[in-house]
Amino acid sequence: MNKVIKSLVALALAGGVTMTAQASPEQDRAAFVKYYKDRFPEVPMEEYPNGVYAIDKVGRENWEAIEEFPPYEPFIDSGQEMWEKPFANGKTYKDCFPDGPAIAAKYPHWDKKKGMVVTLPLALNECRKANGEKPLKYKKGPINDLLAYIAYESRGQKIDVKIPEDDPRALEAYEKGKKFYFTRRGQLNFSCASCHLQNAGMRVRTEILSPSLGHVTHWPTYRSKWGTVGTLHRRFTGCNKNIRAKPFKAQGEQYRNLEYFLTYMSNGLKLNGPGSRK
Amino acid sequence: MMRIDKTMTGVALALALMLGGGVAMAAGTDAKAADPKAAEAAKVIEHAEMARKRAASVDGEWRDTAKFIKKARALAKEGKYDAAIKLAKKAKRQGELGYEQAVSQEKLRIPSYFQSYYSD
Repeated sequence: MNKVIKSLVALALAGGVTMTAQASPEQDRAAFVKYYKDRFPEVPMEEYPNGVYAIDKVGRENWEAIEEFPPYEPFIDSGQEMWEKPFANGKTYKDCFPDGPAIAAKYPHWDKKKGMVVTLPLALNECRKANGEKPLKYKKGPINDLLAYIAYESRGQKIDVKIPEDDPRALEAYEKGKKFYFTRRGQLNFSCASCHLQNAGMRVRTEILSPSLGHVTHWPTYRSKWGTVGTLHRRFTGCNKNIRAKPFKAQGEQYRNLEYFLTYMSNGLKLNGPGSRK
Repeated sequence: MMRIDKTMTGVALALALMLGGGVAMAAGTDAKAADPKAAEAAKVIEHAEMARKRAASVDGEWRDTAKFIKKARALAKEGKYDAAIKLAKKAKRQGELGYEQAVSQEKLRIPSYFQSYYSD
């Protein structure tokens, strides 16, 4: 009898695992929202774009003081100059992005023709290459200025990532991003979820771990640790190094798919970049 | 005549020194090559590199594995074979564990603490 019960429990558990692993993106997002609401019942949804400062009162006071004279401001100005300055062929970014500069909410998106997730930094470099300019580096340097200007102009736009149903490769990319998020890696055997889902709000040494909801709303970000603004993929790299995993290439498939998944999870939240963090 | 003699002696001495040095150098190289530890270090480093590549093939490489292999190579070059072998073995183990870690999670598994949030 015991054996039968054990087998039934095992089957039910296995079924549960399979069911949740095969959940639709919208089911994943609903579970995310429900989880964080349950974990931080006092935090309203619109606070999540503020990252850890939505749940860390002391840190928030410091952050609000910093935001009175935002350290990312010079980068926005420099980005505007870059946006307006013509390329050697006389064209500008506006020729590639006629709706610009407030275009951040359009990214990341699935590009059916290319068969891949296209992020904003990738699209900016494609524009540069198409106009005979050298592509910019994806983690540090001037790409952040340009991204800071675009982010600032896009403030208040709602995230609305779509996973088109007419191309199964889009869902596949989303699923890969989801798998990346839940996969333990590195010598410390941590996944993204270990820190930012399971232990969100807990401390790692002196730092409070931020929730994943809203992780993507405020990039590029001026980090006091960096002393400058950096991209989301630079942050992914840092996270992977922290858990002693070899980081992946910025704008490579792994991080683009992770960005696709994470941004979908934040659908409905407002963009508030560029941001500032410790 | 006396002057020529002195010059000849000088040249002979220089030649002798060069030859002697060469012999000593060759002996040193032979000794290095003959050291059984050198061969062992080379073998362990090669195995570590293979393990690293295997882990990388499944996106499971750890942060420091390549650094350890690079350092082990440098140590072996300096003749510090024991230290090189120790480090290369550590790198090899990291490669093996990284591979196992990635392969064991080939299928997506939603952690138990999160599963209940999918209900209703």
